[in-house]
Amino acid sequence: MACSVFKAMGFFDNILYGFQVTFQPVNFLFCGIGVLVGTLVGVLPGIGPAGAMALLLPATFKFSPTSTLILLAGIYYGVQYGGSTTSILVNIPGEASSVITCLDGYQMARQGRAGPALGIAAWGSFIAGTIANLGLMFVAVPLAYAALSLGPPEYFSLMCMGLVIVTYLAQRSVLKAIMMALVGIILGSIGLDLITGLPRFTFGINELTDGVGIIPLVMGLFGISEILENLEESLERDVFKAPIKNLWPSLKDWAQAKWAIVRGSIIGFLLGILPGGGAVISPFVSYAVEKKISKNPEKFGKGAIEGVASPESANNAAAGASLIPLLSLGIPPNPIMAIFFSALIIHGIQPGPLLIKQHPDLFWGLVASLYLGNALLIVLNLPLIGIWVKVLKIPYKILFPLILLFCLIGAYSMNNVNFDLYVMIFFGVLGWGMRKFGYEGAPLILAYVLGPMLENALRQSLLISQGSFWIFMTRPISAVALGFAIFLLLSNLFPFFRKRRREYGEFKE
Amino acid sequence: MKTLDQASGLFWLSVSIAVFIESLRLGIGKVQNPGMGFMTLGASGILGILSLALFIRASVSREEGKARPLFSGRLWKRVLLVLFVLSVYSIVMPMLGYLLSTFILMTILFWVLERKRIWLVFMASFLSTLISYFVFSKWLNCQFPDGLFGL
Repeated sequence: MACSVFKAMGFFDNILYGFQVTFQPVNFLFCGIGVLVGTLVGVLPGIGPAGAMALLLPATFKFSPTSTLILLAGIYYGVQYGGSTTSILVNIPGEASSVITCLDGYQMARQGRAGPALGIAAWGSFIAGTIANLGLMFVAVPLAYAALSLGPPEYFSLMCMGLVIVTYLAQRSVLKAIMMALVGIILGSIGLDLITGLPRFTFGINELTDGVGIIPLVMGLFGISEILENLEESLERDVFKAPIKNLWPSLKDWAQAKWAIVRGSIIGFLLGILPGGGAVISPFVSYAVEKKISKNPEKFGKGAIEGVASPESANNAAAGASLIPLLSLGIPPNPIMAIFFSALIIHGIQPGPLLIKQHPDLFWGLVASLYLGNALLIVLNLPLIGIWVKVLKIPYKILFPLILLFCLIGAYSMNNVNFDLYVMIFFGVLGWGMRKFGYEGAPLILAYVLGPMLENALRQSLLISQGSFWIFMTRPISAVALGFAIFLLLSNLFPFFRKRRREYGEFKE
Repeated sequence: MKTLDQASGLFWLSVSIAVFIESLRLGIGKVQNPGMGFMTLGASGILGILSLALFIRASVSREEGKARPLFSGRLWKRVLLVLFVLSVYSIVMPMLGYLLSTFILMTILFWVLERKRIWLVFMASFLSTLISYFVFSKWLNCQFPDGLFGL
């Protein structure tokens, strides 16, 4: 039965076709650059995956959208790997998705087991990435076919649900996260109105008729604001000094970590599909599950190899899985996917259910590149661990001017106008203020990208229903999605859920 | 946190009021055929309510003792200097050209955290400007302004 399904879908032909696309020299090169840059960004503080993608995006304009997406995907899962290196060796997570790895990874390093910790993180990432790729192939295509039957009301409700989940999973206040999502919707509405073609909120500034550019926005909110915050502190990092040996985990290590890797991969994959889940939350959940079911929970936090294997597998699986809603529904589930979404739009491709059918080279090329990228990460990174340790030792006084320069170049080269530099600096200051006042940038970015689509879907739905809001409740998928979103919003009022959220927050702290 | 939440609540409340008024001016249309300001009116309305809720919640909370100063004891003057330099760079870059303006910018940025070895600052600025120019302009075809001096 399964074989006939594969045959009908031309499954293996598509995979072979994908590898043909990926192994074209330019795509192969972009995949390699992507994972290298991603690892570098994961290791270094101050720029993050969103900033790195935004920086390199203008440089990809003369290349095909497939090459661009392969590059961005390489950065995304390269970051997950690079982040674990700093967590294990410095006890400072390179990225939010590697925070939990610090607990046991650094303890292992202190016990002279930095090598196995790095090794199991790399192999766990590789295995999880491969599992996520398989899931992506099996889920995305049928989901895209199913999504063809969805109309504006369903899209509106699904996007609302996505935004609400992102705000619900906010690391700080839910109230502030919702406020940021609303600010993002307002920012997304700047520019020409989609239906009338008239300008709004442009204040007579010509450069704003195309809207606020996502690159200066992301660079400002994530890149510049982080640098400004770091400049306020004196950043000294104490890098683990003992030689790193035995990168290949022992049989005993494998025996202890194998099920943690499998469970982490599955949890990461399932949470990665959900809007807002992404690579950030899944490591926390998988670590908590691993500790809960362990026969020796007291070992966690003291150098348990499962405590490294599980979250590192989860964040890589989630990174792969979060491509599913984007490629099959056209809905970015998190800010990183929002940048992918913008990259596709910039290259003239409309993300949505027809993407796989109309651009098979892009979809299957991307899928095959994920396999290649994961393999490259193992091949390049384990032997090069010494280089990454040296990179960790670069002082911040050298790094921060360079990161600022990259941000300036990235923002400017998008349209070659210095107005984008003003926009970036403005959002840099705003982002810096937001950090100080306890607001998060992620809901803002996601809402900024979803805002125009949300508005379009709302207006089309109301036109179809002749002004009746019941259209969102009379269609089953729309009703379920909207009902779930409303339930999540209201759950903040119930003491049980508030207590759970507080526990989650304390766990993250 | 109390004062910070009060201040930020008021800030977002004022933003929401401004957007709300502008949305009304743009026209909200009818429910059957929503206008340009329909969505933003709704978003700004909810933002206003939530900002007010944040302000009120912060005002009635008793967390005053935990409030921490926003700037004191931190190296915030560095931040202001960097922001000022970046702003000036954004304005003068098209006039002075990429190479000259970026060299000056990088010199100041490197100098902010390394004031002892000036020769090192100049060398790092020179190299970073030149390498970035060749990578982004020559290799990746980004179009940087030449400026008055053709640099």
